[in-house]
Amino acid sequence: MRRIIALFAAAALFGAAACNSSNGTPSTPGQPDNVNVGVIAIVDVAPIYLGKQQGFFSKRNINLTLTTAQGGAAIVPAVVSGQYQFGFSNTVSLLLAAQNGLPLKVVCNGNNSTGMADADFAGLFVKADSPIKSPKELVGKTVAANTLKNIVEISVRDSVKKDGGDAAGVKFAELPFPDQLPALQAGRVDAIFVVEPFQAAAIAAGARKIASSYVDAAPNLTVAMYFTSNQLRTSNPGLVTRFTEAMKESLAYADTHPDEVRTVLGTYTQITAEVRAKLTLPKWPAEIDKASVQALAEHAQSYGLLTKQPDIAALLP
Amino acid sequence: MGGHRPGVLGLIGLASFAVALEIAPRAGLVPSEYAPPTSRIAVALGRLVQQNEFWIALRDTIITWGIGLGIAVAAGVLAGVVLGAVPLLWELASTTVEFLRPIPSVALIPLVIVLFGSTIESSVVLVVYAAFWQVLLQVLHGVADVDPVARDTARAYQLGRWARIRYLVWPTALPYVVTGVRLAASVALILAITGELVVGSPGLGKQIEVARQSGAVANVYALVVVTGILGVLANVAMRAIERRALAWHTAVRRDVAGSAVKEERAEVLA
Repeated sequence: MRRIIALFAAAALFGAAACNSSNGTPSTPGQPDNVNVGVIAIVDVAPIYLGKQQGFFSKRNINLTLTTAQGGAAIVPAVVSGQYQFGFSNTVSLLLAAQNGLPLKVVCNGNNSTGMADADFAGLFVKADSPIKSPKELVGKTVAANTLKNIVEISVRDSVKKDGGDAAGVKFAELPFPDQLPALQAGRVDAIFVVEPFQAAAIAAGARKIASSYVDAAPNLTVAMYFTSNQLRTSNPGLVTRFTEAMKESLAYADTHPDEVRTVLGTYTQITAEVRAKLTLPKWPAEIDKASVQALAEHAQSYGLLTKQPDIAALLP
Repeated sequence: MGGHRPGVLGLIGLASFAVALEIAPRAGLVPSEYAPPTSRIAVALGRLVQQNEFWIALRDTIITWGIGLGIAVAAGVLAGVVLGAVPLLWELASTTVEFLRPIPSVALIPLVIVLFGSTIESSVVLVVYAAFWQVLLQVLHGVADVDPVARDTARAYQLGRWARIRYLVWPTALPYVVTGVRLAASVALILAITGELVVGSPGLGKQIEVARQSGAVANVYALVVVTGILGVLANVAMRAIERRALAWHTAVRRDVAGSAVKEERAEVLA
């Protein structure tokens, strides 16, 4: 009796609940598999949108739904719980998940840096009139990173180290990509690390690029990958194989059709046509650069971001 | 009061505001990259309304708002009438209500992310939690406001429980219920947009975040303008419902309200 209101509130709270777990069921012959993939509405995932458009998934009997999440941190648990059958996440987040023993398995490559220091899709920028000329001068300074203790922090420290500076001496402030350029201009941070389309905005605002940190981290850095849960891999291995094949075809197609990539970007992001025409696209090789994943894991350990060596062989396909 | 003057003045005020927002960035008072002038926002809005995604997002926000508000109103009215009609129940529940009510709905965001992820249910839960209390409290006040003389009369005429609710409690509580629904409607919209923005459930709030992540600043403001328009429309709709539901009430009936004022004035003069 005393808790009638609490009960009522609880009933109202959970009344809208719908059971949405449909994971782990084997394919029904003749029926397409409904596959939900958790992605982020950024340039990096253009191949999967393009592949869907090109019918690479439907011809393999996959009815693909792409759901955009607020970030990789939201996608990993959703894939583990079966809300999404596959997900997109950056390499370091996946290494962290592997270290923590989450039952995940990478199925294919996501995207890579271009490998060209003067033409990558991300970069380390300072203000036009900043006294900082090279990464080693960032020691004791503050750099904006979209997420602390993740791929940006490792890559920027790699740039400092490569330049002969003390990688441990750089400080980081967590700022979402859209807020970084205003913070740099207002002098709240000394340097920023942005990806496209914010790199294009930084260049347009006159910011000066002092390093391509993704290139400094490894020659052909695998920045992100697509993954699934071990549960789905055991319950429906055929689906995982078909998804992987479709994904590889999508990556290869995107890599060779940059104009179509720029068009598809307009369908799931709101990047303006002018910016879409000039931004630098990442590379989309079909295969994972395993050496770069290994290098990231080692660097993450040396900077104390990973406490132990993750089982990379078990994580990668 | 001369006819349409307040409406016209209001529009002039709105236009001046738009002009000020056009001039400020152009004059360099605010950085135009982050606070684009009105004209650029209008152009962005013009492009948005040509996209399918925009209309889907608008529909999703209205669905979130409508379902959440519907559940909150139904639950609030039912709980309010029951608790208001049985004093013992209210005494048992009041402490719990006073404990739960001040909890900001947004504090439940971590919970709904775990329970529902980036789905429409997440935002519906936030909307229901915020809107429910608005309705409940109004209904409780309304039920408590029953005229003791009328209640005694009803008892003297031996009206049954159902008849008492229908002819005594409900007409007294209705103005309060309608006020509660109107308050709940605007709170519900705030929470729907907040949920979409933070949790990432589908709707205008999510589109604002996508625009932000795309560096499309003018689109962000264009979507904000749309949420504002939605709020105005929701309020207009609620007022229309209020007028219809309370057509008999003195606060709405112009003739009675007018004569009541005249009587009052006559009393003062006398």
